[in-house]
Amino acid sequence: MSTVLTALQYLGYILIFPGFLFCFLAGMLLCGIDRKVVAKMQKRVGPPVLQPFYDFFKLLGKETIVPAAASKVVFLGAPLVGFAALVVIQLFIPVFSFTVFTGVADVIVILYLLLIPAMAAILGGAASGSPYAGVGLSREMVTIISCELPLVLILLAVGKTVGSFLGTGITFSLTDIAAYQAANGSLITKASMIPAAIAMLLVIPGETGNHPFDAAEAETEICEGLLAEYSGAPLAVYKLTHAVKMLTLTSLFVALFLGGIGTGIMLVDGIILFLLCVVLTILTISLVHAVTARMKIEQIFKYYWTVVSGLALISLVLAWYGL
Amino acid sequence: MSMLSYQHFPIYSIMVLFLGAFLIVMLGRNKAVRNILALLAVTASFCFLAALVKPVMINGEIIAYWMGGRAPAGGYAIGIALEVDALSLFFGLLVATAVLVSCIYSIQYMSHDHNVREYYTLFLMLSGGVMGLVLSGDIFNMFIMVEILTFAAVALTAFRNTAKGALEAAFKYLVVGSMGSTCILVGTIMLYAQVHTLNFAQLSALIPGNLNNATKLAFALLFIGFGTKAFIVPFHPLAADAHGAAPASISVLISGVLTKSGIYGIIRLSYFLFQSMGLGTVQFMLVFFGCMSMFICVTMALAQHDFKRLLAFHSISQIGYVLTAVGLCTALGISAGLYHAMNHTLFKGLLFLAAGAVLHQTGTTDLDRLGGLSKKMPWTTVLFLIGAFSISGIPPFNGFASKWMIYQATYEKAVESGNIGFLLVTIIALITSVLTLASFVKVSQSVFFGQLPKEYENVKEVSFGMRFAMCIFALLCVVTGLFPNLVTKYLTEPAANAVFNVTNYINSMMGSGYAESVMGESLPAVQTCTFVEVGCWNPVSWLLVLAIALLAVTLVAVCGKYDQVSENKGAALTDSKYDLFFGGEESVYSQVGGGDLFWGFKHNWRHYFSFMHDLHSGIVNDYALWAVVALALVTVFLQIVL
Repeated sequence: MSTVLTALQYLGYILIFPGFLFCFLAGMLLCGIDRKVVAKMQKRVGPPVLQPFYDFFKLLGKETIVPAAASKVVFLGAPLVGFAALVVIQLFIPVFSFTVFTGVADVIVILYLLLIPAMAAILGGAASGSPYAGVGLSREMVTIISCELPLVLILLAVGKTVGSFLGTGITFSLTDIAAYQAANGSLITKASMIPAAIAMLLVIPGETGNHPFDAAEAETEICEGLLAEYSGAPLAVYKLTHAVKMLTLTSLFVALFLGGIGTGIMLVDGIILFLLCVVLTILTISLVHAVTARMKIEQIFKYYWTVVSGLALISLVLAWYGL
Repeated sequence: MSMLSYQHFPIYSIMVLFLGAFLIVMLGRNKAVRNILALLAVTASFCFLAALVKPVMINGEIIAYWMGGRAPAGGYAIGIALEVDALSLFFGLLVATAVLVSCIYSIQYMSHDHNVREYYTLFLMLSGGVMGLVLSGDIFNMFIMVEILTFAAVALTAFRNTAKGALEAAFKYLVVGSMGSTCILVGTIMLYAQVHTLNFAQLSALIPGNLNNATKLAFALLFIGFGTKAFIVPFHPLAADAHGAAPASISVLISGVLTKSGIYGIIRLSYFLFQSMGLGTVQFMLVFFGCMSMFICVTMALAQHDFKRLLAFHSISQIGYVLTAVGLCTALGISAGLYHAMNHTLFKGLLFLAAGAVLHQTGTTDLDRLGGLSKKMPWTTVLFLIGAFSISGIPPFNGFASKWMIYQATYEKAVESGNIGFLLVTIIALITSVLTLASFVKVSQSVFFGQLPKEYENVKEVSFGMRFAMCIFALLCVVTGLFPNLVTKYLTEPAANAVFNVTNYINSMMGSGYAESVMGESLPAVQTCTFVEVGCWNPVSWLLVLAIALLAVTLVAVCGKYDQVSENKGAALTDSKYDLFFGGEESVYSQVGGGDLFWGFKHNWRHYFSFMHDLHSGIVNDYALWAVVALALVTVFLQIVL
């Protein structure tokens, strides 16, 4: 009996919180808030906050066209795999002291799991046969390379800081990171971690492919690149994936730098997490979107490998010398 | 000892390969006969080694085998010996697996070639050479095997000698490969002159007490010699040419087997003969060459326009990972390095076979001319993608499991030793991994996705035999990725234990108490390989969660009529909405290019790339010079530090 209950409990985690339903609602809301805030900053009225939901359901009703040149299975399968993989990542990121699955994946694994949705998008775009997708995927890949170096440095810095406290030297375990923060306060309160936190804030719009790092989509130039041939339901899933990615990355930031402030009650923690994600989204995605113009792809690369990596490196060196 | 005692199995597994080679020369005029003979030889060899897993890997025995029963007398080991510990068996199993799969593939793949009899003869000579090398118990036999495998490999590189560049590639390989073999010979001679034995176990006991300028020079010579076999930087241009020209089934052997023999040689040399890995400086040397190979070759791969040359550079890049991990001299490092060596054989074999399938069906491996093959060759596409994900370290495939261990090992080493340099190694390893992914995105876009050129509209999927061979590799890639604990427990940990227990190795060969009597105080302590992982990765649980998630998504999607799409059925009903969007122009006038897929990355590194471009002149004299320079540098370095 108890095994059935446990199974149901885990099914609930996967399907409701912090799995699908939470991802869907929170991600779409974040997306809506982002659009509204950007509009306000640019003195526009902007769409209603629920607009992403309307868009999503409207797209579901549209005709899905598979181009004659596309490989159908990959073209249609990629969005689903990407979305499912992204939701699974959400299950491994701690909500303060609570994690659904402990001992399965650590931060380095999360770094690589984040590549799966990106790869799904790339393969789906490639399978459409569109030349715009060809350009889009190369830019997407360069963006991934750009973000990878700073992310690696950030994770190593966090791992070293927490590890030297635990006495193991280093740790990559998210549970350890959460436990450390519960005991010692958020990592962002450590001076040595502040550059890494800033670097992480700058990585978020790059990873989600938001302005000004959206050279891979660039609607006005290469017709959304990877999505050029998508229509109907698969496009809706991609839009959803994009929205959830904002949630995933902001909650990863919370897990890494703002942990230890949870109450232990799941519902309250969920709301706190969501509110923090909203603040972070406004800060890293909306604000940056409103005040910058799109960068060229080689500028993106240079920016991430010099400025952002430099910031992360400062933290890593400080952490290395135990500061 | 009866004929069927497992003590004889190592020599049998070498013998059947050579025997097969000779029988094929004599009887192989008939196609069926030679195919059966080749398959029998490689299968038998595999079975003999597989039968050794229980005694050697699980029970921890070391098989010391003296040919003709000439056991050492008077403290000197004169007879020819085989010595199989877990390390030898580990590499032997890799060799046997790769050879078996490559042989299955060859039957269909080579069916249109001429001189197939000679092909199989050389194929089995090469396999026998590598097998003999990894199972040999004395250094002179190792040299003989090196000679056999080098010349077989050179001949096989030029096997399709009407193809452009085949003879040139073989010539380059011959020149630099012979330099490497000569280095090994000279090194062997110098060791013999100093300590008067060729037996590995005895050398391992004697050299640490006889460390003088001559033995140090021998170390340098042997290191460079095995380095050329592993194609580490600065010998990587040879690999690119050789893989570009050789048949795909031979590329599998060159990358999966021959480079491993170089790695095996380096491990034996530095951990056993010289027992020098305790020294930070020697660790530095291995890690330095490893990182150079890892990084330089992955960037070189980004600039390639040929499928097989690209794979060749990646092959060396992954060997760089192995060498780096092995050079760390920690239990986790060695375990990770060997794990990656195994994975390298599997995924690289799979990728080369996929490239061979493309070549077989289209006649080219030029990335700029291919495209859109996924609709024509769906099996090959899926199998290629499995290989590509494995090599780029995408979870849950095997490349991730081993790379993840390597990151941990390097980072742990950095913290333990307090040396910030190892931190750089971790970062290089992580970045190399994502660059690898980038270049495989390029391959999948330019070969399997994108637009199908007119000339390939009638391309068909490869035959069952070739697909079957690829499926074996793909299956192994998935299994070894999903069950990392089993792999470490039954394969890499016993091998890593063997590496740390030189005393056992010496005593099983020379009689118990020998190591103690010769080495006395300096006897290395017996260790058991234990390591604590600093992170957690449980692929099966993850896959289970992903499967549930995917099932849920798919169910919802299908209920929401996700699969009810409108597509172009039949050529008669053409509607322009099924055409690709070209910005309103005819496709031929489209302004969208995409020739250079990673311009944004390469533009920032243009100085580096143009420097590399100038450096790789393609002239064999330059490459020979690099070998000499590397030898000189290593010699000077070792004379100073050892």
